[in-house]
Amino acid sequence: MTGRMTNRVPDWIGGRDDPWPWHIYPVNRRVGQGAPIKHALELIANASKLPADGSKPDSERNPNPLGGELTGDASAGAEGPLCRFLVLLQPARAPPGEPSPSPPLLSRHQALPRLSPPRPTPLRRLPAASVTEIAGESATGKTQLCLQLALLAPQSPLSASSLFLHSDLPFPLHRLRRLAPKILDHVLVAAAHSPTDLLSLLARAQRLLANPGRSPHRLPIRLILLDSIASLFRADFDASPADLRRRSALFFQISAKLKELAYRHQCVVVVTNQVVDVVERDAGNTVAWSSGRSVSPALGITWANCVNTRLFLTREVDGDGASGSARRRMKVAFAPHLPERSCEFVIRRDGIFGVEPAER
Amino acid sequence: MGEQSGKFLLCSHYILIFAWAQNAWDMLSDEQSQKHITTGSGDLNDILGGGIHCKEVTEIGGVPGVGKTQLGIQLAINVQIPVEYGGLGGKAVYIDTEGSFMVERVYQIAEGCIRDILEHFPHSHEKSSSGQKQLQPEHFLADIYYFRICSYTEQIAVINYLEKFLGEHKDVRIVVIDSVTFHFRQDFEDLALRTRVLSGLSLKLMKIAKTYNLAVVLLNQVTTKFTEGSFQLTLALGDSWSHSCTNRLILYWNGNERYAHLDKSPSLPVASAPYAVTGKGIRDALHTNLREVDATEQATTVFLYLNVWHILHSQIEKQLQGGQLPIGMDNS
Repeated sequence: MTGRMTNRVPDWIGGRDDPWPWHIYPVNRRVGQGAPIKHALELIANASKLPADGSKPDSERNPNPLGGELTGDASAGAEGPLCRFLVLLQPARAPPGEPSPSPPLLSRHQALPRLSPPRPTPLRRLPAASVTEIAGESATGKTQLCLQLALLAPQSPLSASSLFLHSDLPFPLHRLRRLAPKILDHVLVAAAHSPTDLLSLLARAQRLLANPGRSPHRLPIRLILLDSIASLFRADFDASPADLRRRSALFFQISAKLKELAYRHQCVVVVTNQVVDVVERDAGNTVAWSSGRSVSPALGITWANCVNTRLFLTREVDGDGASGSARRRMKVAFAPHLPERSCEFVIRRDGIFGVEPAER
Repeated sequence: MGEQSGKFLLCSHYILIFAWAQNAWDMLSDEQSQKHITTGSGDLNDILGGGIHCKEVTEIGGVPGVGKTQLGIQLAINVQIPVEYGGLGGKAVYIDTEGSFMVERVYQIAEGCIRDILEHFPHSHEKSSSGQKQLQPEHFLADIYYFRICSYTEQIAVINYLEKFLGEHKDVRIVVIDSVTFHFRQDFEDLALRTRVLSGLSLKLMKIAKTYNLAVVLLNQVTTKFTEGSFQLTLALGDSWSHSCTNRLILYWNGNERYAHLDKSPSLPVASAPYAVTGKGIRDALHTNLREVDATEQATTVFLYLNVWHILHSQIEKQLQGGQLPIGMDNS
């Protein structure tokens, strides 16, 4: 397998002076054509030998400017350096969106509208130039929410591509495919394996954001998603005071970098976090009740100081066992512009939708 | 002759000393005439002795979500309340290190403040001179000078620049720094350098407060510190920073309510008071039956006062119509 992979970049990709050296992955839009799901390795191999095959670049083969097939079953994703390579076929020819004119009061905060209504007003928008954290247990919908935001970004008034940094390997490609029936080429994906890795990624992202003008078809990046800051800090850190201090210093460095990116380029930054069980109540951190136990976001009060807004996703199972349906709530733990409220939502095949409160 | 000149020199020395030394009596009257910036909550004002003091550095610390930024924004708005309504009529400088300054929220708080002013002074729309500040939220927003800084070097630079800035803008009466310690909690190789830089900053801020007669409010985060065998919550960078402020206010959660605890003050006793963060900003906490009784008492008092004023006003009018000058009233 490794023999078939080459480092040579085909010329219909961005090229060597593409500021984003990782290859960007397109999403399959050909619903109904039944393109088979291929293994990531095969796709890369195919792409590198496409010109030699004589098959045309996808733009001529089908009317969609983005050809290509989505592969990468999440469960079959390979480890290691392959995760950094997701092949770009051609960039979309979508006209670069213009940010919708917003009232001058809100011009600093081009908010990213949430998904579909109905949803109570306070939670509808995520502010730009600030870091929002979404914390919740596993399977409460954090990654789903992030993917949905990434796919909605080009169509929203924000009109932007998104940068998805993931530390939980592998990148959930099949979920992305299920969510996106249409052409969307605006998700840039990169993997971070450790906190220092993340810092270097953010430095490159800064350079990319500062020079956006390379490809005229790609929308500017205005959304940065970081899946699971907690899993970055799982390894390499013991509980000794010196390591805790080093960990805290890294929190502040990462948070300062994210906030700087958010402010200088008016991006919306969303970070996901996991939860830990809480034993004593008095830690000063948010505590919520989810799945029958008291949980609190991971990384403690130090990380809580680093984010501007915190949204907590909880899950309550009504009824017993498998017959009960999960009621999912999203709660605002703290935010500078929102009161503490919560709302209910559901996760469906085609996305996350809010639920109108039944009686009010 | 030598004696005479000696005495003369001594006298001139005494005169010089008296010229720059301030009488304690003068200082007392200075302090009493010093205005305070109301926080929006009556209880909080009480424990602070009327509000945030000018010429002093106040540090406010608390866990995330307890309302530090809200209090900072409320103070930046309340300092602009015009003098005729009991405020200072000044402008505000807001130095934001964390990005928590949301313009929509500031607009909301400004609207709430204006609504409260108009409630307490119902005849204010009648007297409107050209020099008076228009009670519009946009004007309140326009008088906040906002600085956003992204690193500790920028923070040092802004505080150094502040002196020059305040020399040009003499009507600034409050400087709020949101999370003064955020950028200093990153990796500093030389901790002694950090301590030196922080104490330099705090000295500058104290000097600014005294020279330009304004209030400096520093918002701080909390951290867990391992003391006496357990983890406790303390203010961040406590050891290098705790001497820098004149007053310290700690905000904390007590159950579901927010409380403020005055931890350090040169003249006031240690005390706690509840407060609430509402849509209009920081206001009094409304809960127990006791509070409700007080509220109705206050309402009754206000009602009575207004009625008495009305009665007096009508009496004065009658007297004026009758051609007499009301007793004790001049013609203004």
